Amino acid sequence: MSESLDALERRIAELRAEVRRAVKARDGMRARQLRADLRRAELAWDEAIMAEDPAAIVPGLRELQEPATSLLPIREQVHQALLLLGVPSAARMVVAVNAAFFSGALRGPQLTSLRRDEERSFRSDPYARPYYLCAALTDRLSPARGLLADSTWPLEARVVGPLSPRVDYLTAAVRIAEHLERLADPPPGAVRLLSRMAQNIPGAAEGFAPTDPTTVIRAARAELEVHLAADAAQRAEVAARAGEQLTDVERLFGASTLSTLRGAC
Amino acid sequence: MNRLDRLRGPVPPRAHDARALAALAANPGCARRALMDAAGVDKDGTARHLGFPAPFGQSQFAITRGNVFEALVKENGCAELLRLLRELLGLPIDQVGYQDVETVGSHLRASHTRTLIDRAARELDAAVFYDHPMLSLQIAGHTAYLEPDVLAFQLGGRFHIVEIKSFSVIDGQAEPEKVAAAARQAAVYVLALRALMADLGHDPERVSHDVVLVCPENFANRPTASLVDVRRQLAVLKRQLVRMTRVDRLLEGLPPELTFSLEPDDEGVPTRSARELAEALGRVPARYAPDCLSTCDMCMFCRDEARACGSTDLLGRQVRDQLGGVSGAAEALGLAEGTIVPGEGQEEIARVLRLANRLREECLR
Repeated sequence: MSESLDALERRIAELRAEVRRAVKARDGMRARQLRADLRRAELAWDEAIMAEDPAAIVPGLRELQEPATSLLPIREQVHQALLLLGVPSAARMVVAVNAAFFSGALRGPQLTSLRRDEERSFRSDPYARPYYLCAALTDRLSPARGLLADSTWPLEARVVGPLSPRVDYLTAAVRIAEHLERLADPPPGAVRLLSRMAQNIPGAAEGFAPTDPTTVIRAARAELEVHLAADAAQRAEVAARAGEQLTDVERLFGASTLSTLRGAC
Repeated sequence: MNRLDRLRGPVPPRAHDARALAALAANPGCARRALMDAAGVDKDGTARHLGFPAPFGQSQFAITRGNVFEALVKENGCAELLRLLRELLGLPIDQVGYQDVETVGSHLRASHTRTLIDRAARELDAAVFYDHPMLSLQIAGHTAYLEPDVLAFQLGGRFHIVEIKSFSVIDGQAEPEKVAAAARQAAVYVLALRALMADLGHDPERVSHDVVLVCPENFANRPTASLVDVRRQLAVLKRQLVRMTRVDRLLEGLPPELTFSLEPDDEGVPTRSARELAEALGRVPARYAPDCLSTCDMCMFCRDEARACGSTDLLGRQVRDQLGGVSGAAEALGLAEGTIVPGEGQEEIARVLRLANRLREECLR
């Protein structure tokens, strides 16, 4: 057994050196691959050393260390999270919801080019897909920075006014809490996510203890009450303007701002 | 202005940012720094050419940490910040507006900020948070563009500058140096916003001199906020900026042909020898203090100079002030060892120095 341990240790050392070389050469792809190999080798080493002493086996460790994978394509996973949230959301929120309720295989950088790819697909073959992951529109009808939305939502839900970030945050908290209530065995990650969000909603959390979904829903609805009418009016105004002035592509992906034209002049 | 252009030489002037302006306020007595900034001389380039490159520039890790924390505070329409301001300033529940100035192209940000601030000041449609704003400030005839983290507008019609920093506040205490640096930087933003308000015809006093400083609390990543009064920093900064517009007084007594020019040859290497440049710089007095090491590009050069002449500046402001009337490190040592007879007015400090020397001897014995 100790021979295979020696071999593994040599392999780990080699891999570490290679990771360093790859990072130095700024080869991100290769570095990531090598790091995954390194993690596997380290896991194998852990297992080999456990096998020598069965008393030291920690149940569940393997599942914790194994990186999650999902068979769904990235856009499907993002769509899943957006359906749960029901509001235009930032990439970080989508990743957090995916990690809390679904596969947890989504990473922030994977989402950066998503909107651009969707736009390209829509331009070459409009309405070919049942849904598109599109942009939320600002009051200037330009795409809001970093927000992802679903093309099947009504325009009023996809535009954002000054009050919308808060309204959407509270709505998202309510939706997550409702989903948690439906689950018989709520995943601990999801409870943590809700507790974190509840910290910023007055009356929803006491101290740092895990929060009760019912309390969160009540507190968030109470604050929503205050903002909802004003926000709906602002959104309706922007949505009407967007409906009149924009073409189909722009209605989904936003009118180009001057900054995108700047390269041309 | 011609003399400043000559000081800089035939290269374009360097733009100022908030960090540079804050550093200026950190050491208001330094004529060398004031003159180089007024002329827009490339201080980093100068220091490197002299062979005294500055040891800083933020570490990549610190920058990443700062950005991650800032993103945390600002995510979901400043949800964390909203909680903090509700606790700290008693912000009413219905005030939650959020405007991202960056939705317009980067070249329009300054004018868009101006429009939004004007509307807010007229109470037309006031949002609470203005994210990614861009302010401008006139410095010695040039426009410097500044980017505060967040502008907050709230209750009572006053604006607050929000400064997000990633050093932690442990048990209600943070490192005083870092807070001082943050306060200086925030003072620059307050000044710029006040200038903008005055320009728009509103009362500049509507920009609060209390800055909201947001830092991680204790050892966790949870943000906490506190108010920092920056009136003192504002006063220093104003004085310094006025001084920069009146540099002619600093230029008095300097030879008219003096220049810090870094005119490059075809390969981009400055044509002037380092020795000549050092001589030219030596004509303008610097006031070196150890804190320069964290703020000024020229710090290594000035420290070397202070060392060469045995100046007491090296030991920090406090010691230098205590050693007032003693001309240098050599004299102080002589007084301590009793080899120099104290002159008039030096008896007091000589006694302290001799006592310190005796303590040291006894410790080492």
